[in-house]
Amino acid sequence: MSEAVDVEQVQEPITHASPEVREIIERVLQLEKDKLYLRSPRNINDDIVKIVKEVIQ
Amino acid sequence: MKLLSLKLCNFRQFYGKTPGIYLASNAKNTTIIHGNNGSGKTTLLNAFTWVFYEKFTAAFASPNLLINKRAIQEVTIGTSVECWVEINFEHDKKRYQVKRKCYACLDEKGTTQYSNSQFFMLVAGEDGRWYPPLQQPEDIINRILPESLHQYFFFDGEHIDHIFRHNDKNKIAEDTKELLGVKVLDRSIDHLKKAEKILQHELSIIGDNNIKKSLKEKNRLEKEQAALSEKQKFIINEIDKKEAEKNRKSQQLLQLSSAEQLKHLKEKLDKQEKLLKKDLSETKKQIKELISHHGYAIFLSDAITKFQTIITDLRQRGELPSGIKQQFVQQLLNQQSCICGQALLEGSTHYEQVKQWMNKAGIAAVEESAIRLESQVHEIEQKVIDFWTNVDNKQRKLESDRLELSSVERELDEISEKFRQYPDEDLRNLQKQLDNLNQVIQDLRLEQGGIQQEINRLTKNLELLEKEIVKQKLIESKQQLAKRRILVTQEARNRLIEVRSRLENQFRLSLEKRVQEIFCQISFTPYLPRLSQNYELNLIDNTSGIAVPVAASTGENQILSLSFIGGIIDRVREWSQKNTLMGPDSSTFPIIMDSPFGSLDEIYRRQVAQSIPKLANQLIILVTKTQWRGEVQEETNNYIGKEYVLVYYSPKSDCQEDKISIQGVDYPLVKKSPNEFEYTEIIEVCRDA
Repeated sequence: MSEAVDVEQVQEPITHASPEVREIIERVLQLEKDKLYLRSPRNINDDIVKIVKEVIQ
Repeated sequence: MKLLSLKLCNFRQFYGKTPGIYLASNAKNTTIIHGNNGSGKTTLLNAFTWVFYEKFTAAFASPNLLINKRAIQEVTIGTSVECWVEINFEHDKKRYQVKRKCYACLDEKGTTQYSNSQFFMLVAGEDGRWYPPLQQPEDIINRILPESLHQYFFFDGEHIDHIFRHNDKNKIAEDTKELLGVKVLDRSIDHLKKAEKILQHELSIIGDNNIKKSLKEKNRLEKEQAALSEKQKFIINEIDKKEAEKNRKSQQLLQLSSAEQLKHLKEKLDKQEKLLKKDLSETKKQIKELISHHGYAIFLSDAITKFQTIITDLRQRGELPSGIKQQFVQQLLNQQSCICGQALLEGSTHYEQVKQWMNKAGIAAVEESAIRLESQVHEIEQKVIDFWTNVDNKQRKLESDRLELSSVERELDEISEKFRQYPDEDLRNLQKQLDNLNQVIQDLRLEQGGIQQEINRLTKNLELLEKEIVKQKLIESKQQLAKRRILVTQEARNRLIEVRSRLENQFRLSLEKRVQEIFCQISFTPYLPRLSQNYELNLIDNTSGIAVPVAASTGENQILSLSFIGGIIDRVREWSQKNTLMGPDSSTFPIIMDSPFGSLDEIYRRQVAQSIPKLANQLIILVTKTQWRGEVQEETNNYIGKEYVLVYYSPKSDCQEDKISIQGVDYPLVKKSPNEFEYTEIIEVCRDA
């Protein structure tokens, strides 16, 4: 069979991050995914800043 | 996305509403639609792209003429006719119905005018009820099957190689990355950078932190203060010493002095001087106490005048004191009898008359308070007089003490002067020493005062500095938080960059492998597809041990493109099933191909037919009779779930009719039109189970 993409290895930088960094990454990815269909998502930078501030207090 | 059915109304060749075209899925995932040239195969392909994206493929001629000719000719000028396509599909356990609709009418010049198209969507939940979606329908479609990628799912087989011959090769890389979720990573990385900038800006607003400088300054001031206190102690000690010495010398002087009278006088005067100084400081203290305890009273004169005006006013109006009390009137009413013996029954005239006194009568509590206040105010007035008398007395005492002290000092000076002039040298010296000591003590006292002032200044500065340090500490903690946030944002971004590079690399290699597998399955050539860094697809001949690029034929290019599409769908499907962080939501993809066997010879037809049902979850193939030859039919047979024939009605009187035989049954492909219009009908093929 063909060689599949090793998801574990690809995501290793995320899964091995500290819990705080990991939470930020996961929330940012979800946010971007939700707004992917928008050409220029409004206020997304502020939303990301909000995520960082919520996680790091 | 699983396509369920398609329905058209007055869309190009299709007159009126067509019956629903139901599409195969699951094990028998292939739908075959037969049709001759011009019967509407490309129209059906474009029905999908029009509904979903309002886009058409390159092979779709005159995309501005959507309305069925017969439908528009049948109505009068100015009457609009509707033209729509409706698709039902399933995604993520929900059913969707999408419909794009436009209106057309003929104007007086005979040209067809179109309205803008409108897009409608309804969603059915698990309870089976249909409702309009909460989000924009276009957004929902784009999330399920992004518009930028539609050419990989809806394509014209004969021109499939065009997708990859396109000059803008980067586009393919971009599209593929979007399917993978790399775009999500790209945007996250980009936006995290911007978020970092915002955080940096916020840090700069917090301002510079001078806490180190302030702490250093505090340290310096404290040291200075300690040194001054030490010096102060030393001076006080020194003064004590000098005072003791002075006393000693004075005693000595008196003992040595032979003039008894002078001696006694000096002793007396010294005592007097001490007493007077003590008295003076005592009187000053008493004045201070007097001012701090009773001084306020002199500022109350305005308030007292105001109070008296109010009371006088109340008296003049007869409200204070009132001759009769409310309590007394109420008592009469309660016992229902007046003091004159008259019965007071509720409602009677007498009762009402007595009751009216309630308004005139005063309240006992108010009267009591007014009386109490008056006596207190009177006391204050008395206090002011006493205060001034006392202060005057004390001042007078102060004045007389001062006068007395200065005369005593003068007398003492005279005695000292006498001693200075005394014939006995020892005495003269002693007096000189005393004079010096007095001077030293005075200097020391002056210095002590200066140091005390300096210490006070330092204490005040230290207090201010302490406040500043508290403020700086707050800034410092804010700064630390902001810095940590920036660091974490940078780290998140760096980690995503690493993920992106790993994903791109791994995915490209894995995709290349899959494309090679599919290509080798179909092609009999020894060539191998290679996928470059930017997803450029090339054929390589490796037989001689050295990789040489191959000038691929049209057929080979077609197979190459099919392999690429198949590879992408396969890999993305696998990726999205495994990964929840960045991959697409869809893991089910349909492929709709128009004339996929166009330029292929017999062997390739067989191989392609064998491979394509496995490429996607769902397959819709639009074919001509000539493309649908034995080998294709044989290889696809087991996968066919639905089959339709497009019957073209020609208005030409001498048209050549055509038909296709499927499982021994003849189905018409071309028939003569019963009227002057051309149109197409859809017939479902009844297949044996």
